[in-house]
Amino acid sequence: MSGKRKPDLKVIIMGDYAVGKTSLVCRYIEDKFIKHEPTIGAAFFLKQWGPYNVAVWDTAGDERYTGLSHFYCRNAGAAILAYDMSNPQTFESLWARFMPLLNSSTEKCLKIVVGTKMDLIPPEERDITLEEGRKLAHELNEGLDISKLACEPYFETSSKDGSHVSEVFECIFQYCLPLSGDQRSKFGLSTSTVDLYEKEPKRATAKKGCC
Amino acid sequence: MSMKAFELVPAIERAKLIADKIKTQIECLDVCGKNLYIGTADCFVFHYCIEERNIGGRTTFYSEKQGQKYLGLKKAIVQIKAASALNRIMVLCDNTFTLLNMFDLEPVYSGAKIKGVNYFCLNENPANPNPFSIEICVALKKKQLQVFTILEDKIIHNKDLSIPEPATIIGVDEKHVCAALTTQYCIIEIDTGNIQDLFPFDTEYVNPVVKKVTKDEFLLSGPSALGMFVTSAGISQRPPMQWSDNLVSVSCVHPYIVAMNDEFITIHSILDQQQKQAIPFQGGVFMNDFDGKLFIASSREIYSLVPVAFEKQIQALLADKRVTEALELAENAHSTGMTKDKFMKMYRRIQQQAGFIEFTQQHFEEARDLFIKGQVDVREIICLYPKMMPTGSNFTRSSPALHEIPDITVLTKNNETLTAEYIYFLQSYLEEIRNTKLSIGLKQEIDVALLKLYAENNSPELIPLLISETSCDLADCVECLERYQRHHALALLHKHHSENDRALAIWSKLVNGELTDNSFPGFKFVIEFLANLNNHELVWKYIDWALEKDEELGVQILTERPVNEPPSERLRPDAVIDYLHRFPLAVINYLEYLVFQKKLEKEKYHTHLAVLYLDKVLNLLKNSSVRKEEIDMARSKLRHMLQISSLYRVQLILGKTKETDMHAECAILYGKLEEHDKALRILVHKLKDYGAAENYCLVNSQGREPAYRKRLFHILLSVYLDSSYERKDTLVAPAMSLLNSNVADFDTVKVLQLLPDSWSVSLLSQFLTRAMRKSMHTSRMTRVERMMARGENLSIKQECIELQQEPVIMTEDRNCAVCNRPYSEPTFIRYPNGVVTHVHCAKNKYICPVTGKLFRTQKSNPS
Repeated sequence: MSGKRKPDLKVIIMGDYAVGKTSLVCRYIEDKFIKHEPTIGAAFFLKQWGPYNVAVWDTAGDERYTGLSHFYCRNAGAAILAYDMSNPQTFESLWARFMPLLNSSTEKCLKIVVGTKMDLIPPEERDITLEEGRKLAHELNEGLDISKLACEPYFETSSKDGSHVSEVFECIFQYCLPLSGDQRSKFGLSTSTVDLYEKEPKRATAKKGCC
Repeated sequence: MSMKAFELVPAIERAKLIADKIKTQIECLDVCGKNLYIGTADCFVFHYCIEERNIGGRTTFYSEKQGQKYLGLKKAIVQIKAASALNRIMVLCDNTFTLLNMFDLEPVYSGAKIKGVNYFCLNENPANPNPFSIEICVALKKKQLQVFTILEDKIIHNKDLSIPEPATIIGVDEKHVCAALTTQYCIIEIDTGNIQDLFPFDTEYVNPVVKKVTKDEFLLSGPSALGMFVTSAGISQRPPMQWSDNLVSVSCVHPYIVAMNDEFITIHSILDQQQKQAIPFQGGVFMNDFDGKLFIASSREIYSLVPVAFEKQIQALLADKRVTEALELAENAHSTGMTKDKFMKMYRRIQQQAGFIEFTQQHFEEARDLFIKGQVDVREIICLYPKMMPTGSNFTRSSPALHEIPDITVLTKNNETLTAEYIYFLQSYLEEIRNTKLSIGLKQEIDVALLKLYAENNSPELIPLLISETSCDLADCVECLERYQRHHALALLHKHHSENDRALAIWSKLVNGELTDNSFPGFKFVIEFLANLNNHELVWKYIDWALEKDEELGVQILTERPVNEPPSERLRPDAVIDYLHRFPLAVINYLEYLVFQKKLEKEKYHTHLAVLYLDKVLNLLKNSSVRKEEIDMARSKLRHMLQISSLYRVQLILGKTKETDMHAECAILYGKLEEHDKALRILVHKLKDYGAAENYCLVNSQGREPAYRKRLFHILLSVYLDSSYERKDTLVAPAMSLLNSNVADFDTVKVLQLLPDSWSVSLLSQFLTRAMRKSMHTSRMTRVERMMARGENLSIKQECIELQQEPVIMTEDRNCAVCNRPYSEPTFIRYPNGVVTHVHCAKNKYICPVTGKLFRTQKSNPS
């Protein structure tokens, strides 16, 4: 095991008990939505991002593991702070409980605030507004140049229907380990930008084949 | 959880220890080679010699006591550790670290010691290794760690490291110390003294443990009985493990982590962090691994945890149908020092066994992968299916057996859908491996099994299997195909084994309707087969039957022969024609084949065919009810034949046609006889087909000199202008159009002589203008050609003069440039570059034989 290559990026997911951290990772890595037992201590996932290895650490939300979270945060390049959109208290604890923990991660740790369980709550009943979420996300990243970031450091997701889940991770990976358009297509990742110099749109080549 | 990674084996039994001293309670121990040292609660050190013996696959320990020493402090000996390089053992008792002689257990003369020690730890991997010293790190009662170098009789203090709280337990690896302080764990860098906090713990609930597991990686006991992995950089690279409470001690024997609490020894895999085995063990006080050997002590007894051989562990897992775990374990067995070949052999066998386990559980997808990866002998699978093996096969299942399945009926228990699934699996598996290297040498078994499967479920694949390169055995499959009435397949099988007679017998029955088989493609197929059959006796045997069935198709047997078939007496055209007498249609087809396809130039065939065509036309004409198209078809065939062939006896045909009013045919025949005037008269006067007349001139002059063509057109023109013809006025228009035609070609002077004087010039103006132009053009072109030829002549002359300008002086002592011999004859060769040689030495007049220079072979164009 000593021969195992060190991951190029460590991403840690934190947040209160039962906000759906493991579901979020599972939806991204395995594209499945299944019931999970409470995480013990922490769980660990490896994800290929182009030529890079990304280690995703899913921490336990239970308060008795708070001591460990601090330790698992070390050297994290990015942190996902998850809260349950249907439970405003979990939003509070991001501020109160998890922000101090992040001091031990690398100085330039990117913090992304992610609301989960969007499918559970109708837009008119929300307690936390989009603006509040964005405000917190910007406060957390104070002193960090986030102009490079392709999008707001705030997402609202649903692991159940999969909405915005991969955007969260790809946004982080692209910020921390930027890949050029060429690399992205080489490794079979979707390209969000339109490449004007691409020789021929793929659709056109497909059409040719039909006659 | 029946996986057994370890077995608990007694090492030194209670009776042996009690015999020494009733109250003895083990506190700690150390094993170094064959030496085993025990530290007791009442301050004794015992020295045993212990030997591991392996009898019949069972490990036993044999021990003998070597000596004992009372350290006289009435305190427990907390830690003991042998340092074989120094012949010393290190002992911690009453917070004092001392050294004893390894053999007589006497204290060292110098009495070197360290006081106020909570815990000491050997650095097995020091930054500056030295074979005559060792490095230890001690945790003092005060807030300090100290690093020492130990020599035989000396303890040298190297470094102090201050820490925020006193440490209770430490682990050392190279340049880092991992310490359990009173409230938290931390990593201290020895060189710089930098401290990195890891995580806090509560001593009330957590028994701190620090265990070095691999290089730069420690295992710590965390809150809620978690086993936390930490690297010396202070981060974690593996998820934590869940242990139970009241942990006493942790050891590591790759790839397992062994943890002991007051009731159990639990074994986790370091690879997936899952628990693999639990062994009940009460009252354990000490456990550690020594060079890969695990020893455990309760207060009175010593045991060893002996690793169960990988193979045994794997077999246990397989017996428990835990396939994935077994395979994972097998993969890791690679690191246990097996040679690659041996490992692959072992691993494949396990994959095969695993495959059969999945197979019994109907996990066909997995079974398939495992069978392919494990390269299982396909016969092992086929033989599970009753009656699928070739009857003559002497295959026996591998021994020891890969599985315990007698055959699939045991698995399916006569459940039909299940049986179908199993059969489908076999079929798709065989199809998949059929042309891979797994099928080498086993093609017969595979093909026979596939044939039986296809025959049984009437698969459309049956026929392609038999058409392609198949290895089906005859005897075995015939019975099966007959049983399922796959007649066509059976015939194909016979054909494959060159038993064409039998195959044909079946096919003829199929055609006659005595047998039925949906896959049989029909009569045409048999014809095709016969047409390509090189056994001509057999062809003759069936040709009668085929012709009676359908003349036109039947004759294809004779006409569609393979291109490169050698001629044979049985298929000699004369004999065939004689034979075909009964079948008029067949004769025509066969003659057409001879004349048009084989292009045989024998007058007999051509005449025969022409006569047959003619007879047919005549027959049709006699019968008034025949449709006109049919007659036209027949006549055009006849005309075509008459036109393209010139081998038939024209007079014979002409004699027959003249009596009828088949003018077009007559015209062709006259043409063949070169009686163009007659032919054209028929075309113009009888048929009034002027286009055909013009065409006649073109066709008959094809491939002849222009004068011949001119003559033909001239004849036509004279036919048009023949004053004896009573309705010659009607022919003025075609005559004019012929004169003005682009294709026609005339000798102008002759035309002018022929034209009646009464015709006006304006009528002929177009023709005359064209004739003038053409004449002018020819005259001019001839002049141009003449001048060009003259120019060419001149330039060649010039070249010739240039070449002859210089004299070639031949003297007696001038030798040939190639063979260097003198000239004996007056002739010689001179090359344009001046090289002079014998005539016979000049092999190529364009290449200089001395320099190899290539002279222009052609004068380049002056342009």
